[in-house]
Amino acid sequence: MNASKTLAKTLVASPERKLEADADLAVVRQVQAGDVAAFDRLISKYRERVVGILYNMTSNREDAADLAQDAFIKAFQSIHRFQGQASFFTWLYRIAVNSTLSHLRKNRLRSFFSLETINADDPVSREVIDALTDKTGAGRDTFVRELQEKLNDAMQKLSINHRTVVTLFEIDGLSHQEIAEVMDCSVGTVRSRLHYAKQLLQAELQPYLPK
Amino acid sequence: MNEDSRKKITVEDLLRLKKAERPPEDFWVKFDAEIRAKQLSAIVSKRPWWAGLTRSFTIVRSLQLPLGAAAAVALTYAGVRYVGIHPEPAHAVQGTYASAAPLAQAVVSTAPALAAKAPAETRELVTEVSVRHESLSPKAIVAATTSHIVQAPTFVSTEAATASPFADGIAVTLADYRSSVPDIAKASSFGNDREFEPSVAPARQAVSDPLAHMDPAEERRSRLLAPALAAGPRALASDWMKERASNNDRMYESMDEPSSNDRSLVGFRF
Repeated sequence: MNASKTLAKTLVASPERKLEADADLAVVRQVQAGDVAAFDRLISKYRERVVGILYNMTSNREDAADLAQDAFIKAFQSIHRFQGQASFFTWLYRIAVNSTLSHLRKNRLRSFFSLETINADDPVSREVIDALTDKTGAGRDTFVRELQEKLNDAMQKLSINHRTVVTLFEIDGLSHQEIAEVMDCSVGTVRSRLHYAKQLLQAELQPYLPK
Repeated sequence: MNEDSRKKITVEDLLRLKKAERPPEDFWVKFDAEIRAKQLSAIVSKRPWWAGLTRSFTIVRSLQLPLGAAAAVALTYAGVRYVGIHPEPAHAVQGTYASAAPLAQAVVSTAPALAAKAPAETRELVTEVSVRHESLSPKAIVAATTSHIVQAPTFVSTEAATASPFADGIAVTLADYRSSVPDIAKASSFGNDREFEPSVAPARQAVSDPLAHMDPAEERRSRLLAPALAAGPRALASDWMKERASNNDRMYESMDEPSSNDRSLVGFRF
């Protein structure tokens, strides 16, 4: 039962997302009517998710911030063309992802890591780190830092499209259908890219995984 | 390391660590300030006129493949329709070469102007070229370029021969050639591409041994009867032989009598 729910969630958008999309559409109508301040609510709501996606695509904090700001401004300038056929966050994600893809293609040879620190209070990350090491204090911090660099390195070894699919699915939790809408490709392409990207990550992160 | 718990770790678990990568609070303060400034500048600044054009180009670019495929299908359909309406492709060649007529006319019209500017030697050459191009009608070009030597004279002699003396000369030459070619050479056994082969074969046969046609008995008879025949070509030949013999005698005499100053014409060096 639980597995079928998880599978359904990966395929189509959840009902919560649909309610969220309806609420966003109401705010968008206000902005289209001339209430410019209403757009700030959309920025406050989605800034962390957009910056998180772009950070995981670029592995650079400054680039992610600039690209996210540009995506919000582009969305603001083009909001009169938004007709509500897709949800606002899908539309916003598409703008952000496309801007980032073109940025990464232009600067393919230039990649600098500028990493955030892993929040140690997060229960999921604590559980994973506890499972990987029994060290404490400085040794634990060093191990976490090394693992973080290895993770970002493995992500950057993926192609741009594979990296984007992994980021949207595994880190941001979008469904296959939503990713297909954001990346303007088929659901089958999304699944194929996801499968291939996981195989590559498995090979890259083998020292941290059980045999 | 905890080996029991490590077995449960997967790639998805490791990727969850990236979810926990969060920027500090001051990052968001700076982010909000920057995005507000950009938003205000976007409101104030007017978008350039070509921004919409860029968008339309993007739309067209996304439709490149369907538009290209549709254009290819339309061109193919138009080509098939054209071939269906005009089923004789042989006349298309004449139309192609007929387009050379304006070029010839242009050369003819510019030739006098060039001749006026050129020196006397080249003036004659340009005049000759202009005369030749005046006689070069499209029909004559077709006759020359299709190289249908065996059948061409009838085509040229009917229309092009009346146009100019140059074409008239070509017609006469080709008519003579046609009369000299045997009938078996005119047969087109292999189609148009191979018709030049039988026209070449008689030309090779013409270069045969000239002595094959001589009759040895006739020659011997004429030699024996020569003294009895009256003076004619034979008399001229005997006069020429006598004159040559006297010249030889004079030359040998001059060689046998060296001059007094002449010592030795041959020397040896060691």
